[in-house]
Formats: sequence, C-alpha cells, structure tokens
Amino acid sequence: MYASVLRLSLMIVALALPVAGQAATVAIDVRGFDGKPLAGAVVTIETPKAPGVTVRGPYMIEQRDISFQPHVLIVPVGATVGFPNRDRVRHHVYSFSKTKKFDLKLYGREDARTVLFDRPGVVPLGCNIHDSMSGFVFVTATPFAALTDQAGHVSMTGVPVGAGTVRVWHPSIRAPGSTASQPIDVAATGFATTFVLHR
Amino acid sequence: MDLRRPRFRHLRTKLSVLYASLFAVTLVLLAVVAQAMIWTHARDSVRQELITSGSVYDRIWLLRSQSLIASADLLSRDFGFRAAVASGDRPTIASALANISHRAEVTAAFVVEQDGQVTGPSGALAATVARFPFAVPNGRRDAVVVVAGQVYRLILSPVMAPTQVGWVVFAVRLDGTEMHALERLSAIPLIATIMRSDGAKRWHAADRSVESDAAVDDLVEASRSSRTLATLNLSTGRAFAIAKPLAGLTDRPQAAILIRYPLNAALTPYLPLQAGIALAGLIGLILVVLGSRRLAQGIAGPIANLDAAARALEEGSHAHIVVKGRDEIGRLAASFNRMSVGILERESRITHLALHDVLTGLPNRTYFRESLDQAILQVGRTGGAIAVLCLDLDRFKGVNDTLGHPVGDALLKAIGAMLSESAPDGLVSRLGGDEYAIILSGQFDADRPRALAQSILDMMRQAVVADGHQIATAVSIGIAIGPADGKDADELLKNADLALYLAKEDGRGVFRFFEPALDAAARWRRQVELDLREAIQAGQFVLNYQPVFDLKADRIGGFEALVRWHHPERGVVPPVEFIPIAEDTGLIIAIGEWVMQEACRQAMHWPEHVRVAVNVSPLQFRNTGFPSIVLQALAHSGLAPSRLEIEITESVFLDGEGPVIALLHKLRAMGIRVALDDFGTGYSSLSYLRSFPFDKIKIDRSFITSIASDPSAAAIVRAIVDLATALDMETTAEGVEDTGQLNMLRGEGCGNIQGYLFSRPVESCRIAGLLENGTSQAA
Repeated sequence: MYASVLRLSLMIVALALPVAGQAATVAIDVRGFDGKPLAGAVVTIETPKAPGVTVRGPYMIEQRDISFQPHVLIVPVGATVGFPNRDRVRHHVYSFSKTKKFDLKLYGREDARTVLFDRPGVVPLGCNIHDSMSGFVFVTATPFAALTDQAGHVSMTGVPVGAGTVRVWHPSIRAPGSTASQPIDVAATGFATTFVLHR
Repeated sequence: MDLRRPRFRHLRTKLSVLYASLFAVTLVLLAVVAQAMIWTHARDSVRQELITSGSVYDRIWLLRSQSLIASADLLSRDFGFRAAVASGDRPTIASALANISHRAEVTAAFVVEQDGQVTGPSGALAATVARFPFAVPNGRRDAVVVVAGQVYRLILSPVMAPTQVGWVVFAVRLDGTEMHALERLSAIPLIATIMRSDGAKRWHAADRSVESDAAVDDLVEASRSSRTLATLNLSTGRAFAIAKPLAGLTDRPQAAILIRYPLNAALTPYLPLQAGIALAGLIGLILVVLGSRRLAQGIAGPIANLDAAARALEEGSHAHIVVKGRDEIGRLAASFNRMSVGILERESRITHLALHDVLTGLPNRTYFRESLDQAILQVGRTGGAIAVLCLDLDRFKGVNDTLGHPVGDALLKAIGAMLSESAPDGLVSRLGGDEYAIILSGQFDADRPRALAQSILDMMRQAVVADGHQIATAVSIGIAIGPADGKDADELLKNADLALYLAKEDGRGVFRFFEPALDAAARWRRQVELDLREAIQAGQFVLNYQPVFDLKADRIGGFEALVRWHHPERGVVPPVEFIPIAEDTGLIIAIGEWVMQEACRQAMHWPEHVRVAVNVSPLQFRNTGFPSIVLQALAHSGLAPSRLEIEITESVFLDGEGPVIALLHKLRAMGIRVALDDFGTGYSSLSYLRSFPFDKIKIDRSFITSIASDPSAAAIVRAIVDLATALDMETTAEGVEDTGQLNMLRGEGCGNIQGYLFSRPVESCRIAGLLENGTSQAA
C-alpha cells in the first residue's frame, strides 16, 4: 500500500538549450499530494557519471529557539556537523537512525558537540528534552542534492547527461525511507520536470 | 351482569358501609393517583438519570481513553523505549510492554513497527493489532474491535524517534469488570452490558446477561445517530435502556454498551413512599370505618332502639325508650314513649271492655269461656278439679217491670259485688241478663262448691239494697264439677245449666248439683223433640175428646179436644210429657194448628148444640198468625164459630195484658167463645175477669177434688160461681169424679161438669155412642 503512495509523474519538457561539454542543468518542481509546491524536500540525482562528494564544511545545526536550524541540512558523506546550543536551556540531541546513531547528552551553550556522518542516509534528529524539536541531517554521496525552495523548486547545474535517478525525500512521504524515486534521462539541453507526490 | 343492591337489616350498617365505601373509594383513587404519579415520576427521573448517565458515561469513556492514551504516550515517548524501538531491541520492548501492561492496567500492550511487525503477546489479538495503526481512521487513536468473540478497546500511540518508528498499541478487554467499574461511577444503580455485533444486525451480550432482541438491535442502530431511550422487555423484567455504539475501525461499530435501569430498581426508592401511602391509606380507612361506625351508631342507635321498641309495642309488650338528647330523635323518642303508654292504656281498656261486663265490671261470657278453657287445661296438666256454678236470679223480670230498669241494673251490680265478695277464691262473671257464673279451679276443698252455693243463698235471704230499694230476691244455683261432670267447657257448662234448670224446677232459691240423670232427661227431651217433628210429619197425633156435661140442659154440651201421641215404639205418650217440650221447642205452634183443624173437622159430625173446646197454649196465643189459623180451621171445616171454644190459661197474660185482650176481642168478634182455664190457680185472676168478658170459667180441679170434704173449697167454688153468674159467664167444673162432688156443684149452681164421673176422654169414634146415652149416664 505504501509502495503505491508515491508515484512520479513525469512531465518532460524538451528544452532546446545548448550545453557545454557533457553536463546540463536540471530543474525540478516538487508538489505534494495536495498538489501544492512542497518546500524543504531533498532532491537528489544519482548518475553513474557523477563525481564524488567533497567535504567543505563547516556544517552546523544550531539549536535555537527550541528548534533545529536549519530543519534539514544536506551534508556530504564524511562531513562533521556541529550542534551548537544557542538556547539558554540545555538540549539532549539524539538520533536512532540506522545511518547514524548518536546521543549528545544534555549540554549547554558553552559545550561544543560535533558528530561525524560517515554513511549516506537520512538522520532524523530529536531532542530528548523537547519532543517538538525535529531536524534532519541528509548525508548524501552525490553532489547533486538540493532542498526545494518555498516554491518547491530545485535547480542543479553540471549534471552529467545521461540516465540517472531522481530521488525525493521528505518526512511526509509515506514510503520506506520517506523517499520517492524516478529514473530520468538528462539531455544535453538540460532536464526539467515536476514531481507530483501521490498517496 | 346481575348487580343486586345489598339489603341492610340495620341502618347502622348501611350508614357505616356507605360512608366507609365512599371514603375507601376516595382513598383508593388517591392511592391510584399517587401510584401513577410515583410511577411517572420514577420513569421520568430514570429517563433523566439515564440520559445524564449517558452523558456521564460518554465523558467517562473519553476520560478513560485519554487516560489510556496518556499511559501509552508516556511509554511511547520514553527515551529508552524509543531507543529500543528505533533500534529493534525486541526483548527490551517486550519487557517494557509487560511492565506498562501491569502499570496501566491494560489487558495487553503491543508495539507495531512501521513495517507491521508486532511485538507483544501473541495470539489472535496480535494479528488485529498489527493492522490497527494502518486501519484506524486518521486522527483517531482508539477503536473498539471484536477479536475471537472478545471485545477490546485498542489505544494507539505513535513512537517518535523523533520521526515515527512505530506505535504503541494498548488493548483493554471490555468485560464485566470494566463494566462494573463503569457502573460504579453512576449515581444510580445502572447495569452496563457490553454488546457485540455478530456481523449481521444482531447484537449479543458478551456476558449473555441480555438475550438477543430486536428491540435491542433497533436501539443500538438508532443510537448511532443520536442518543435514544428505549423501554425493553427483558427476561429479567422491564428496563429503561440507552445504547452507546463504540467506534470501531469502520463505520459500522462492532461493539456497543447497553446501559439499562430495571424498572423495579427504579421504583425501589419509592417503596417506602408507596408503603407509606398504603399504610396511611389503611390507617385512614380504619379510622374512617371506626368513625363511620361511631357516627352511624350515633344516628342509627336511637332509631334502632325506636325500631325495637316499636316491635315490642307491636307484640303487645310495654316499650319504653331512654330519651337522650333534645334533637329530633330525642323528641321522637319522647313522643313514642307517650304514644306507647297511650296505646297500651287504650289497648288494655279495649281488652277490658271486650272481656268485661260494662254494668258490673265482672268478666263477661267471653272471658269466662277463656278462663274455663284455661282452667280445664291447667287441671288436665296438674290435676285438681273445676267447679262451675251457674246462677240465675229468680223472677228478676218482675223487678225490671215493677221498679224499672235502673233499679234492675243497680240490683245486678249489687249482686255482682256480693258474689265477688263471697267467692274471693273463684272467678265470678256475668254471663248476661240475670245469669252469673263462678269458676272454682285447682286445689279447692271438696266441700267448697256446696259451701259457696249455700253462703250465696244465705246472703240472698236478706233483702238486697239497690238504688235505695230494699229488694227481696233469690237465686237458683246449678253446680257441675269437672272433670267428672264434663271433660270440656261446653259439657261442664251444659251440665251446670241442667243442674240450674233442676234447681229452678225444684222451686227456685236452691242449689242443685248436676246428676247424670239430669243429662239423661235432657237427652230424653232432645229425643222427644226429634220424635215430635217426626210425629207432625207422620200424623202420629190423634185427638181424644172429653165430654162437657151441661147440667142445666142435662145433656152433653160439648167436648174438650185432648191431643194424644201414638208413638210407634213408646205407644201412647201422655200430653204432660210432650206438651212442655213442644212448648219449649215451639213445635206447639204446628201441633196446635193441627189440633185446631182436626177438632173443627170432627165437630162438624156432631149435633149442632155440641161445641168443641180447644186448649191454646200461651205460646200459640202469642203467635201473630193465630187468628188466621183459627179462621182457616173454621173455613175448612165449615164449623160455625159459635161452636168453637178456645181455652186459655191465665199465663197468657204474663207478657202483658194489652195485646192479649185485643186478640181476645178479635176472636170474640169472629163469634168464637173464649174460656179461662184452670181458674183460681193463677196470680191475680180476678183482675183478668174484669179486663175481658170470658164466655166461660173453668174451675180448677184442685178446688173440685176437696169440695165435698173441705168447706173452704166449697166456699171458693160458690164464690166463683157467684162471680161468674154476676159477670154473666158460664162455669165448668173440672175433675168431677164422684156423685158427691156432682151434687155439691149442682147445689152451688155450676153450669157444666167434666171428669171421670161422667166420662174419661174418648176416641172420636165413640162420640156418637156417648151422645146417644149421655143423658142417662149423667142422670
């Protein structure tokens, strides 16, 4: 049942855009099952020709105003993410994810905490003190990963032309891993599509 | 239907029953209304309670949900538990679930992971629980499901770590315990039963306490949209009920709670009130009955007394009522008392009048008869004797005639008083006229009747003073002693009368006891009377004739007709035996008529100078038809009136002279001769001679018999003859038996003789012979 929740409907628009070399630009709009643009979704494109990721850093998820900021942080595999506490209360940041289990016991503003994410996957973050706090560290192995903006749009350049897979992750997606995927074929002129999430 | 109005013998009962019934009906009506109001009130309050309880129950259900959810949430948000779930640490999860099951008092706790994997107690329930998080409608965190016939409430709580990694599911079995917990929360004694659907529309009680029923089904169905109250007829009795369908996983609930309130339980709180009303009604009724009785007694009591008194009065006994109060009934009682006294007085006066003689105040004949009857009865039972004394004043009529009735009445009173004085031991009564009677009864001395009679006679020897007159009187007394002289009143009285008759016969002024011979004589008289009647019919009478010799003409101048009775058995009966009886019975009239006819007829055969003399009794003479009888006899025979001579005695004048004289003149006018018989023996013969010019005087034989030997008799005869000669009347001497007498009579100038000297009475056939040689014999 959950398998059929998400299906990708692909609308391919042939863009007669000239591209330099073997790369093109991919533009993707994501719409939720209600048809509205879905913001904060992570769109990744996996292609065999993709280069490896590079850790640049620094990566931070602050605890501010009893929330994780940003809500979703995309980091390359091997990145070390800092969890500075900007609130006056203390937090207990944890994750029980298979990608990365960690448990940063109560700490305050003066204590610096960092976690190394060495495997790709989604790491949901929680605070044992504050149930309402929720955040995600998206550990990616592909350089083509971006968050949709408020219009549910994401645009990535330098995507190698050829076949690949688009994956959309969002916590609201009711599918294993909260991820929907769709194979794509990136033309030299680029690729633009709209993902509509279905139940 | 046959509704008979009850009939009351007592006004008291009637009033009591009427009042008590009216009050009882009122009380019953009140009780019925009160019961109806109680029932209505009970029903309304139960309805209200149920509706309230329904709302309360909803609230409780919600609270229980929230409590369970809170418990589940506590677990699902526990950091360690979340860590265990997120890391798939099943032993830890199972341990935590067992722990929470115990702590939160749930039947079972499960964890369902995102992939449907269930951790918790295994069994049929686990399979349902595995599907539950995915099947429950969005936003709902609880549902009631039926698993293997058991009803469970499932509670869902997501496990966030921090994203959802699974669910904690609590299962609470909805059983009797859970329902009892629910019942306890209600203010009224509700009974909650969990019902489950069988998939069709049938609903069954999980604990089988309620039988499947269409009404229950309808109630549950109707309760899905809104709360409905129904009245169910369950096997345990009538009950008000509401249902609460419990939300399941689909639209159609699989379970429901039936909350009912048995009517008898609803009415239980009113039992004291009902009992109170019933008790108050009963007490009221008793008070009303007592009060009604008292009131009715007050009203009807005096009336009942009046009724009893009236009945007593009706039966003749004296009835006096105690007068109480001055109301109408009191006045009525007083009037009744006066009336009762008046009635009794009048009654006793009437009774006295009926039984007593007005003049003397003595008991009358009726009283006498009753007393005699009673005395005979009494003597029959207890022994003893009864004496009846019949008294008759001698010649009382003369007193009335000479002194007048007022004096006669005074005499009767005086004698009554004297008799009462003489016989204080007897009952003195006046039978009527101058007749009295005395009864002596019981144990009296054997000589007492005689002594009493004698004392009365002695007393009467003195003249009695009545109305200022000294009256010499006498009394005749007849005595009969019962039971020897008579078994019953009639016989006793008759025999006393016979004795009295004897006393009168024996010369008056004496007493006689009854003797059986008297009775025999009386019987003989009765037989003679009967025979006389027969004789008149059968013509047993004949006439004999005794010649009357005319001394002056020296020949037979006439015959005196003498009746003879040839009785077929007794032979010839002399006139002295039957004439008094014929006179007593009135048969003398018929006999006299026959004699008159026969004498006239025979006389027609005789020479013209020969007359016939016929004796006429006073009774015949008083008969108004007598002149016509004589006329007929003359007419039939053709006899000249001058040849008929009627002989009367002085006694015809006893009833008064006037009518007799008139009749005599009448006969005389017809040409008939009239002779005065037995002259000299009567009362005042001379005065009669002055009042009527008789044709002949017959000198009584008592003078003739001694005429030859007794100078005074001769002188009397001479005087009579002289007197007759002076009055121009003929004379006939009777009973001449010898020639000496004849010669004396002839010497004194007597005109006619008759007697044995000349001839005995002869039969008619010998008259002719007598006439032929009569002259020579007399000579």
